[in-house]
Amino acid sequence: MTVGQITLERFIVLLSNQGIRVRVGPFNVQINVTSTVFANQLYLLYKDYELVENDIAEFHVRVVSARSIKRPFTSHVRFLLDGQSPFPILPEEQALAALEWGINLSIAVRVNHLLLFHSAVVERNGQVIVAPALPGSGKTTLCVALVHRGYRLFSDEFGLLDPQRGEFLPIPRLMPLKNESIGVIENYLPEAQLGQKIPNTQKGTIAHVCPPKESIVRSRESAKARWIVFPKWVADTPLRLEQLPDSEAFLLLANNSFNYEVMGESGFQAVTHLIKTCDCYQLVYSDFDDLINAMNDLTN
Amino acid sequence: MSSKVYWRPIGFSCLRIEEWNEEFTLYQPDSGKTHFLNQMGMQIILDLAQSPASTDDICQSLAAQFELCLNQQFSQQIISILNRFNELGLIEKVEKESSM
Repeated sequence: MTVGQITLERFIVLLSNQGIRVRVGPFNVQINVTSTVFANQLYLLYKDYELVENDIAEFHVRVVSARSIKRPFTSHVRFLLDGQSPFPILPEEQALAALEWGINLSIAVRVNHLLLFHSAVVERNGQVIVAPALPGSGKTTLCVALVHRGYRLFSDEFGLLDPQRGEFLPIPRLMPLKNESIGVIENYLPEAQLGQKIPNTQKGTIAHVCPPKESIVRSRESAKARWIVFPKWVADTPLRLEQLPDSEAFLLLANNSFNYEVMGESGFQAVTHLIKTCDCYQLVYSDFDDLINAMNDLTN
Repeated sequence: MSSKVYWRPIGFSCLRIEEWNEEFTLYQPDSGKTHFLNQMGMQIILDLAQSPASTDDICQSLAAQFELCLNQQFSQQIISILNRFNELGLIEKVEKESSM
């Protein structure tokens, strides 16, 4: 059963009492929210996610009402992971952003049986493109464009590599567009389903994009990587897709991982295997049509 | 009798080494660190794994292998590399007694 198959009223009751348990890629996340101001948004954006009843949840997260000493007359929320608050309280209107950041943070700090890359990951024709990049490089925007042109979303944020199987695991989550990229995507992809704009966050204005339903439904289907593309969006620049030396790709990829050193030798072996089995490129782009043509040529 | 300082590798058999077109990644299980070495850096480790050697011996051997001029500048560069490898725990100094 998916979230959308229960009524909004039932969803709100569950959310604010025992919480809802949803499957997000390889993890089950228990979400409990006492501040239900964003429940409608959450219901719409999570409608295709599977509800989990009996399996245990790897992450128990809560968004609860909080009081600010500095601003006592404004409503705030606090994100909690297993009862601990990993970042300061936020205004109540940013509750969805707090929940999404909090879940990302939970994955980044808790998952150490998988090699985690700070990376967009999409799949086409059964093979994966890994697109590692620093924050602000346009990973999410690139991902939103590709997944609305036939690519399957694995993640706009996390490359989850199972080092035993050498396969990437999908974790299709809401994709938070930021600032100018919101208008860019609204113009380029009018069919994209965006949540409400959340202004004045620490990253500016944010609007979450729903992953395509197919990506969520197929989120148990892992796949091997075939290409590693280090992307960078640069305004008014013609597209360049240039092969990278393996040694440089290794260095960039290992440095991009959240837990490469924690993983020890299996991290080294996994990155070595990836570089040996993938073609590695540096990508500079500004135009989405050029980007999609180049990625289609690469993956055909 | 006098003592002479030699260099020798630490835990060479445990290192995981991969070559990428004349560049190398070297995983060191003891520290959990991955090091990036060029051909000369790798050659130093490989030579020392064959046989411990003094700084002078290493400089002479590398100059011959890479067809470079053995001068003070070159020796200084090799000494810097050896000291760096020593800090990283890849090699260590040992003193051996030798007859004069």
